[in-house]
Amino acid sequence: MKIGARLSLQSIQVAYNGKAILKDVSLEVRPGEILALVGPNGAGKTTLIRTASGVLEPAQGTVQVNEQDIRQLTPPERARWMAVVPQARQLPATFTVVQTVMLGRTPYLGWLGFPKKEDEEIVQQVLRRTQLEDLANRRIGELSGGEQQRVLLARALAQNTPILLLDEPTAHLDLHHQALILKLVQQTVQECGLAVLLAIHDLNLVSLYADRVALLVNGRLQREGLPAQVLTKSEIEHAYGVEVELLEHPRLSAPFIIPHSNGSSERIAYVG
Amino acid sequence: MKAPSTLSFWSARPYLVSGLALALALFFSVAVGAVWIPPQTMARLLAALAVPLDLSDVPPAYRTIVHNVRLPHAILMALSGAALASSGAAYQGLFRNPLADPYLIGVASGAGLGAVIALALRWPATLSGWLVVPLAAFSGALLTVLIVYRLARVNQSLPTTTLILAGVAVSSFATALTSFIMLRSRDELHRALAWLLGGSTVNDWTPVWAAFPYIVTGFLVLWSLGHVLNVLQFGEEQAHQLGIPVERAKLLLILAASLTTAAAVSFSGLIGFIGLIVPHTMRLLWGPDYRRLLPLSALGGAGALLFADLLARVALAPQVLPVGVVTALAGAPFFLWLLRRAKSEFIW
Amino acid sequence: MHRSGFFLTILLATVLLVACTAGGQTLSSLPSPTSLPPTPQSIRLRDGLGTEIELSGAAQRIVSLAPSNTEILFALGAGNQLVGRDSFSDYPSEALQIQDVGGGFGNLDVETIIALQPDLILASPLTAAEQVQGLRDLGLTVFVLPNPLQFDDLYTNLMTVASLTGRIQEAETLIVQLKQRVQSVDEKLSGIARRPLVFYEIDGTDPNAPWTAGPNTFIDMLITRAGGLNFGHDLQGDWVQVSLEEILRRDPELILLGDAIWGGVTVEAVMARPGWGELSAVKNQRVYPFDDNIVSRPGPRLVDGLEALAKLFHPDRFQ
Repeated sequence: MKIGARLSLQSIQVAYNGKAILKDVSLEVRPGEILALVGPNGAGKTTLIRTASGVLEPAQGTVQVNEQDIRQLTPPERARWMAVVPQARQLPATFTVVQTVMLGRTPYLGWLGFPKKEDEEIVQQVLRRTQLEDLANRRIGELSGGEQQRVLLARALAQNTPILLLDEPTAHLDLHHQALILKLVQQTVQECGLAVLLAIHDLNLVSLYADRVALLVNGRLQREGLPAQVLTKSEIEHAYGVEVELLEHPRLSAPFIIPHSNGSSERIAYVG
Repeated sequence: MKAPSTLSFWSARPYLVSGLALALALFFSVAVGAVWIPPQTMARLLAALAVPLDLSDVPPAYRTIVHNVRLPHAILMALSGAALASSGAAYQGLFRNPLADPYLIGVASGAGLGAVIALALRWPATLSGWLVVPLAAFSGALLTVLIVYRLARVNQSLPTTTLILAGVAVSSFATALTSFIMLRSRDELHRALAWLLGGSTVNDWTPVWAAFPYIVTGFLVLWSLGHVLNVLQFGEEQAHQLGIPVERAKLLLILAASLTTAAAVSFSGLIGFIGLIVPHTMRLLWGPDYRRLLPLSALGGAGALLFADLLARVALAPQVLPVGVVTALAGAPFFLWLLRRAKSEFIW
Repeated sequence: MHRSGFFLTILLATVLLVACTAGGQTLSSLPSPTSLPPTPQSIRLRDGLGTEIELSGAAQRIVSLAPSNTEILFALGAGNQLVGRDSFSDYPSEALQIQDVGGGFGNLDVETIIALQPDLILASPLTAAEQVQGLRDLGLTVFVLPNPLQFDDLYTNLMTVASLTGRIQEAETLIVQLKQRVQSVDEKLSGIARRPLVFYEIDGTDPNAPWTAGPNTFIDMLITRAGGLNFGHDLQGDWVQVSLEEILRRDPELILLGDAIWGGVTVEAVMARPGWGELSAVKNQRVYPFDDNIVSRPGPRLVDGLEALAKLFHPDRFQ
């Protein structure tokens, strides 16, 4: 696998039906770090992930991998640089776990898609690492939401790319699975030096797992930096419109965010 | 209902079972017909296909019936069934819609329109038949598909919903135009109607040679796209992210599936349900992997259409029912049964 | 798998059962040739598709693919030379005894035709050209009898069939009789003052837009010859659909129900159709059922049709 790739978005503008979704967003994700992308619903997080992966074409700006514009890459080339973990929604129920993870090898398989020994080994490794060995032959339609999300992560890992994009992988998951997924990502980053862009809305998870944070509000990059720098009381209250209380995490130097719930506050928005 | 097979891809069992069913279907199609041929003679006539035998004591009428009427007809039905089932599987995979069917995107209606126009223009009797009518049908089918593709395209992509809407609209237009042209010409109406219901009414080898290259080519292209179809089941966006050139793949799939369908419709008329029932059955039995589903659907479709054709030929002998009527009569209840099963558990 | 194997077996058993019991023909169960005085030299004629057909002698095992051809063959006394006929051949009643070879929607039972070992297949333009070619490719002799436009063409057809079947004398006799009858009608109709407007209904499924015969059809030709004026004479196409309004506007003197033979179409039912009560033909009770077969099958019964029409149009001339 190629190592040490850097993903950079420069002056990205994306519009849909005449409405601007992303306005002049510039970001950089460096190898060996997890950059968390946060912001309220509708801020454009998913759109950013889609633009970064090449699914959406920006009206202006470029997406580059190691200074190369991704538009100059063929789809398989691009898929060897970047893998995406989407939300586990509307998956074809009758595919088995191992069949699904094997699809992650697509950029390396020929047009006909027949796997070689090497591909089978990689898939086995990934299944072990994501603790899916026992579920290998189960249909993904029968799995729980958390297990399905793990399968999609496994598929992306099987793709063996230096850059990983995750679109809200912890939405709809319970505590156990949230922790499991993010720990796995963290481990892989540490072992393989991946560059990870993680769109997520649970701010507390961001504190625990992200190295850097980018705050997106209304299509614009509000703030970028270390979690402690970005997740300040004023930034959060301004972005989310909710009063919050910040606590210091007992062990890490990251903030812990608790929304206020005094009876007089009429605007209650869930953070996470 | 038990889980679909988790047999490894290379397992031979599905192919053996389907191949056996097809062989049986072929055997009965040739052995059974309106005229009763004694088993011994039949055995010799069938053996003569593989090894040179002296058939001088066999009444020539029997030989003509088996070798020049039943055999080419059976092979044509097998080819058409394979074409309809495999293209049906491909459309279902492409649109991720279990109801997707060659007729949904207007291929059959376009083919029908092309053929009726050729018949209405009154080509000289000798030219029409093999050269003009099927070619016209094929052109009609392609034209329809390309129009639908253009209509349904949104920027660079081909959303499923608009595709099906455009397909239904263009299909209705083609059908209406077909009816209008048929009504304008009385003599050819008879011929056009007969053709639409049951395909070519000539039973010799010519339609087989004519259909073969189209159907085989189309099928091979589809089969090579089996892996691509698998990836497409996760949605076009994920397919794109996994490195599939999605627009190119979709175009190739539509062209190949339409070529295959148009060829089948050109020579066998409008036959429904094969493209719907067979892939579903294969999926239920042996799983959703398209690299396997496509050839299995082809085998199953060939066998299924042969059985339907057998019923059409013998149920009301000497009257011959149009095959499309039999597939509809058998297919509709089967489809309803399938639907009930699907509601109680995931089959998609 | 057991379930599907079970179904498969049942299906196979059913098919086998049906196949074995569904009136299969064997070569021996089919009629054997009758003996006839042999014609010395071979017969060579050009058929309606322009193909030259050669027979080594009078045809003894004929398959007819059109009801008109069947009627012609029986009229010429060649009924015994017929071994197969299409499903629609129902006249004369003896024809029903002959082996049916299909023909609905163009689907001929080719196997039975081959098994009958015919020496001549007599077809009409009803059979598609490629089907004729297909039968020829299988080694069968097919003669396509063209559609006559006038009575003279009909007589030519009769002679053609007579040559093919060795019934020249019978044909000559028949033609003389037919000519006499036609001439008689012409004479009786000479000097008629006017031609009544006739609406010939081919299909009245939609009473607001029934179908009638256009020009260049037998029906049109016969109506004209019988001293009438066909409603559809100036319209376009062979079968034309006309609106009830148009019928009301032109107000035909007579209405003939060619679809009466299909059942459900009776004089009372037609006269009771909404709006039809305004027509003079209905008020004057000049609505008649009509045997469509005698005006649409190009055989000797066309003369029957001519006579029947003439009697309806000008009853005073036929007392």
